Amino acid sequence: MEPALELTGVGKTFGEVRALDAVDLTVRAGEVHCVLGENGAGKSTLCNLVFGSAALDEGEMRLYGAPYRPRRPAEALRLGVAMVHQHFSLVPELTVGENLLLAERARLRPPDLTGRVKAIEEEYGLAVDLAAPVAGLPVGERQSVEIVKCLLRDPRLLLLDEPTAVLGPAEVRALLATCRRVAETGRAVVLVTHKLGEVERAGDAATVLRGGKVAGSGPLAGFSRDELVRLMVGRELADLDPLLAAGLDATEAPAPRTPRETAGEPVARLRGLRLRSDHGPDVLDGVDLELRAGEIVGVAGVEGNGQSELVAVLSGALSADEGVFELDGVDLTRAAPAVRTAAGLGVIPEDRHHEGCVTGMSVAENLFLGRLREFRRFGLLDRKAMRAGAARAVAEHGIRASGPDAPLHTLSGGNQQKVVVARELALDPLRLLIAAQPTRGLDIGAVDAVLTRVRDAAARGAAVLVVSSELAELLTLCDRVMVAYRGRLLGPVAPDAPGARDEIGKLMLGAAT
Amino acid sequence: MSAFAELVDGGVRLAIPLLVASAGELVSERAGVLNMSVEGIMLTGAFAGAVGAHTTGSASAGLLCALVAGLLAAALQAVLSVTLRADQIVTGVAANALALGATTYGARLYFTEGRTVPGFDPVALPLLSDIPVIGPALFDQSVLGYGCVLLTVLLAVLFGRRTGFGLAVTAIGADAETADRSGLPVNAVRFGAVLLVGVTSALAGAHLALADVHAFTDNLTAGAGYLAVAAVIAGRWRAWPTLAACAFFGLAQALQFAAPAFGIHLPTAVLVMSPYLLAVVAVSGLVGASRAPAGLTRPFAREARA
Ligand SMILES: Nc1ncnc2c1ncn2[C@@H]1O[C@H](COP(=O)(O)OP(=O)(O)OP(=O)(O)O)[C@@H](O)[C@H]1O
Ligand SMILES: [Mg+2]
Repeated sequence: MEPALELTGVGKTFGEVRALDAVDLTVRAGEVHCVLGENGAGKSTLCNLVFGSAALDEGEMRLYGAPYRPRRPAEALRLGVAMVHQHFSLVPELTVGENLLLAERARLRPPDLTGRVKAIEEEYGLAVDLAAPVAGLPVGERQSVEIVKCLLRDPRLLLLDEPTAVLGPAEVRALLATCRRVAETGRAVVLVTHKLGEVERAGDAATVLRGGKVAGSGPLAGFSRDELVRLMVGRELADLDPLLAAGLDATEAPAPRTPRETAGEPVARLRGLRLRSDHGPDVLDGVDLELRAGEIVGVAGVEGNGQSELVAVLSGALSADEGVFELDGVDLTRAAPAVRTAAGLGVIPEDRHHEGCVTGMSVAENLFLGRLREFRRFGLLDRKAMRAGAARAVAEHGIRASGPDAPLHTLSGGNQQKVVVARELALDPLRLLIAAQPTRGLDIGAVDAVLTRVRDAAARGAAVLVVSSELAELLTLCDRVMVAYRGRLLGPVAPDAPGARDEIGKLMLGAAT
Repeated sequence: MSAFAELVDGGVRLAIPLLVASAGELVSERAGVLNMSVEGIMLTGAFAGAVGAHTTGSASAGLLCALVAGLLAAALQAVLSVTLRADQIVTGVAANALALGATTYGARLYFTEGRTVPGFDPVALPLLSDIPVIGPALFDQSVLGYGCVLLTVLLAVLFGRRTGFGLAVTAIGADAETADRSGLPVNAVRFGAVLLVGVTSALAGAHLALADVHAFTDNLTAGAGYLAVAAVIAGRWRAWPTLAACAFFGLAQALQFAAPAFGIHLPTAVLVMSPYLLAVVAVSGLVGASRAPAGLTRPFAREARA
């Protein structure tokens, strides 16, 4: 049988960046084909070429044997190719149902839609609320909508560009199960991911990209895990942080970090923080927490228990209804973001693409947006100094960009994240670092680097609050782990205590300590 | 006629071109394209309509000329703002200046003896026009006037949120990239929307020249096109509020002339300003959240990703 998708000698250049170079890829019907590679390796570009969002410069594509060269997504969709993008692609102003109808405008009427969505719910266990406005949905549910939107079209080839990056563990499991189901019905799935654990759970074959070239490709049975890592980052698994082993397989408990003997003086205090909601119970229901210098505190929990809102309140994006947030004795509860920054508060927000950066501006401008004063000379901006500073940060953090002047939107998803992380870590003085899902969307080499930097920041005396849905990440990184449950923080749990994992699991379900 | 009847009559007459022009502009803005050139296309339509009617002696032929001219002007605007992705505000304002100069000069060359042209005569609808006060004001319009109102209602219904068209247009205006990924023809729809503005604006201009004053004078539209754009803003990009804003603007303009008869002695400047004041109030959110389409004035090209 001919392959579902066949690429031969495909190349794509953006300006001076060679995003893909002589790429060969064969995806068979009935298989989940994983595409791996570092940030900026060309995974999204590959998907975009197949989906018709970008045009290939050279090479040839075949879809189920027929020559295939979509000039626009509409053409790809017509030929049975659907895609979930790395960044969300739903119209927030519309409801879920309207978003689903969009894709099916010509063929479906609302009553038929309900029937089709029901059928998909039964087959894949993906439930969506058609009447809900997209703007208010948590990320996990948005992702379900995106997938239902694809499945509605009954695609022959499903492209998923890092669909699991924004999901919690339970949602990831459900998504991987959906992938398997789609493949079992004889269709083909291309799954882009950074997590080897997911590859092993759902994949049949894999292709590793490195710098736009194919570093290795074939059935998964032919690769060991070490080999995949080597192909991806050019380093041995053993050289990487023990945490990474955890990221590769969430069931393996990594060696916990040895807690600091003496905790430093208190840096930040959260007292009775409360955030009301228009409907239902308070989103934050009296959060108390003390953070000490040099201490890394983690917040675990099932998505939607107030973690995101806690970060938003601390960063100033939301304003608390009650309670106090102090940093070095200064009340910042209602302070403007600039005041918070000046007080030494660094924030790596969860939705970096929307909240953390200005995609139309350059890498240098994004890095120094909040610190333009340092680059002022005779009242004008010293662009040269900015560029030099940016070039240093780009090199230090391994950000792959054509240069400091490259507009941020030309960077790959993971490299955009690195820019935000680099900016917040460069804060001086950094007294309190709040990191929400700091490793989301990063390749394993970059995860390693970010974790090292967070530890360094703590070692230099900053207090660190990490909110993450990766339990393993919290267990290795943190001195103590709190669990968010219905707007409150339960715990703490010491990561090195025996049974810490189970304890946290119980707290996540609201069991009393 | 009582002063009040005169006010309503004048208000309706002035509101009709605003209604049809803003109905088209609303569709276009919901799709993400702002046409400051409504004013210029209206003026072009009025001029072409007057010239056509004058040359052939037939108002209908004049209307046809107006539509052709409006479509041509809109096609130019669409190429600039959709295909070439030029700044929509700059090209629109430039087009208005060009239209004003060209029609003023053209009128001087063409209308050497007298500027009156044959036009559409009012047709009183039986029974309805017998209703006291509002009857003659509403139901004694020309065929062109009725046509404009009909088209307005048609557009408002056709592009409401509940229809497939309306949904597609809303998505394209809110997030062009997502719409493209959903398989919608973003730039084709936007191009079509600008052409629609060409038709509605030309109709508005033709109404002014052929059904209202039956003549072409320099700068005949005198800012009515800008009012139509302001009405969309004041209506916060929703159909019925926009149409209500047009009616209000029409009445406010008519009040300039009728005020003395009511014994009101406001400075005219205040009345002239009132439509724009309303628009400012609407946009500044004093009356609820103002929600412009997120992608308004942002051109779309596939590989320049957001
Ligand atoms: N529109 C564009 N203009 C310029 N350069 C681009 C553009 N799109 C992608 N690139 C470049 O092409 C390279 C590959 O990017 P791509 O988005 O495919 O990476 P990726 O493998 O998906 O990475 P990630 O894991 O971070 O999402 C990057 O170096 C990126 O900077
Ligand atoms: Mg990518």
